[in-house]
Amino acid sequence: MTTVGIPRALLYYQYYPMWKTFFEHLGAEVVVSPPTTRKTLTEGASRVVADTCLPAKVFVGHTVSLVGKCDCIFIPVIRSLKSKTYNCSKFLGLPDMTRAVVPEAPPILEIEIDINRGKRRLYQDIYKLGRHFTWNPLKVKEAATAAWQSLLDYRELMYRRELILPQAMEEITGESQTGLNMILKSQTVPPTTIGLIGHAYLLYDEHINYQLIRRLQQYDATVVTPEMLPGNIIEASVNKLAGKAYWTYEEEVVGAGGHFLESGVDGIIGIMAFGCGPDSLMMDMVHRHATRQKTTPFMCLTLEEHTSETGVITRLEAFMDMIHRRKQKGEAVCV
Amino acid sequence: MGNLYVPCRAVLEQLGVDYVIPPVNSQRTLSLGSRYSPEGLCIPFKMTLGNMIEAAELGANTLLVPGGYGICRLGYYTRVQEQILHNLGYDIEIIQLGVSERKFLGMMDIIKRVSNDSPWRRILSAFRFGLSKLNAVDQIERIVQKVRPVELIPGTANQLYTRAVQAIDNADDYDTLKRVKADYLGQLKHVAINEQARPLIVGVTGEFYVVLEPFSSFDIERELGKLGVEVRRATFISGWTKFSLFLNPFGINEKSRIHKAAYPYLKRDIGGDGWESVGEKVLHAKEYDGLIHLAPFTCMPEIIAENIMPSTKEQMPVLTILCDEQIAKAGVLTRLEAFVDLLERKRRKQNDQLRVTV
Ligand code: SF4
Ligand code: SF4
Repeated sequence: MTTVGIPRALLYYQYYPMWKTFFEHLGAEVVVSPPTTRKTLTEGASRVVADTCLPAKVFVGHTVSLVGKCDCIFIPVIRSLKSKTYNCSKFLGLPDMTRAVVPEAPPILEIEIDINRGKRRLYQDIYKLGRHFTWNPLKVKEAATAAWQSLLDYRELMYRRELILPQAMEEITGESQTGLNMILKSQTVPPTTIGLIGHAYLLYDEHINYQLIRRLQQYDATVVTPEMLPGNIIEASVNKLAGKAYWTYEEEVVGAGGHFLESGVDGIIGIMAFGCGPDSLMMDMVHRHATRQKTTPFMCLTLEEHTSETGVITRLEAFMDMIHRRKQKGEAVCV
Repeated sequence: MGNLYVPCRAVLEQLGVDYVIPPVNSQRTLSLGSRYSPEGLCIPFKMTLGNMIEAAELGANTLLVPGGYGICRLGYYTRVQEQILHNLGYDIEIIQLGVSERKFLGMMDIIKRVSNDSPWRRILSAFRFGLSKLNAVDQIERIVQKVRPVELIPGTANQLYTRAVQAIDNADDYDTLKRVKADYLGQLKHVAINEQARPLIVGVTGEFYVVLEPFSSFDIERELGKLGVEVRRATFISGWTKFSLFLNPFGINEKSRIHKAAYPYLKRDIGGDGWESVGEKVLHAKEYDGLIHLAPFTCMPEIIAENIMPSTKEQMPVLTILCDEQIAKAGVLTRLEAFVDLLERKRRKQNDQLRVTV
């Protein structure tokens, strides 16, 4: 049986349930690299040039940790999911970059997803991927359908039941997301709601964001994440804030940010990686709107490997204090 | 950017458009741009923002910005830049000249609009004239690159070059343009050079903007010239406009050759010029002594390229130089000298080996 390795980084967070279903339907075994640790990060960082963004370093680190544990590594290239949107270069060059910096890695399974090239092409590409496991196109089709369904289920868990991504992941895959069994959303209405914006691979990698979500929950805050918002709402706010979407993952930043600004959360925290081209522009966009609107506090945390944990905590504390004070004052005014 | 203003001015002038050309890039442009840019952006963004602010100061109310055909490119920039300008209190409209394949028609509309509905014939001839100026500038530049490292009196070529660009800029009809061009090409031919010299050949590649805008890349070509190195570069503005305006199928062939070379190491376009950078290394490994790779700080495609380049089978020393306002020129020059030293030593060693085998 072939073992497919999947690095627990970047797109893993959004698509793992889908990939797992796909490969398992084709009779392969799937292994995921263990959660990020200090070592993953240093290993990754040592392979690439210093200016590579943090998430890409983490990705490389995870790939290295899969060496020897699987027969091939799955690295999809997602170019475009909607017509005329583009993804960050790092995603497009990911398989080639990995090959270059982790020469000892097993063969890399690639698939390029580009909606602009038409559905037919997409199906062909999926079939080509399936060919590594079976010659039977029907089986591939079956696997793809099941995979798609599990992606839909997964998303639904997040925006219907408002599960935070790792919880949804755990529920759907039955694999415990180490250390991420967070407090379920408490039903009594807690005093503060914080909207988080940023890419999934930054929000849910506890090692690189210093357990941000958990810390927020310790402040008794309810956390709302981009994945909890239905697609159409998000799209509408992208259009409102920035015009037609340009980046593939613009929604989780600009879209969610725009929506949170309007829906009256108590504060918004944006998380981005240092030196990230798309994010620095998108966060700036949200920031400008927040400043203009003047009602919702906004804070942007920029992560890199040398970000100090205490620094992050201090800023977080200050931000939460400010929100609490504001709330108290606001209520006093109302009374 | 670079000498791009020469043809643009020609076009606008012929069309009788009221225009301002922002002052040439200076330290001020860059500091203005970086002051108002969000943190962590690449130098092309900062420079163009600086240009915009300076243009706005001169009273421009419409900005023409050439958009890119790449993925990462200026596509998203202008949206943010427009907001920054508005926040600064300038009431300005940015028109993006989307020179990508299919937008050609849309671009024509825009041109028609800003030119106050000039007849098409006039627009076309204005463009033709602009393009000829562009070609003239590029032609001269290519020769200058060859003369610079071997001239006997350092600086001659540069002086001629500056004067030539000015003269071309001032020429207002085809005859003058032709005369000026021939004149300077002749003068360049007569610059006293060291006939024996076999200068090192170093390619310059990397992100489009920094490759073409000397100010943002430490004037690297001139510095190399001073060190007696001949510079080769595949990116010329004229190549770009030809490519994007689909006037020249040859431009496309050149590109696809580079892409083919890169294919074993990088299979797809990753936006910006990352693909080309890798391709140029592979393609020219035999021909050049070394390669200078210019990458704006935080530029995503070039970082990918930088990661991939060392692993190619085709070997050639590569020096990646990051371009950013935070980086001191002195440091860059030291690295450049060390790099050239290395290449020289390498060449001497090769020569020695040759002699032994003979
Ligand atoms: S989007 Fe930003 S953080 Fe993500 S891979 Fe690209 S540069 Fe890195
Ligand atoms: S290619 Fe690089 S320098 Fe050019 S716009 Fe993109 S990130 Fe900036």
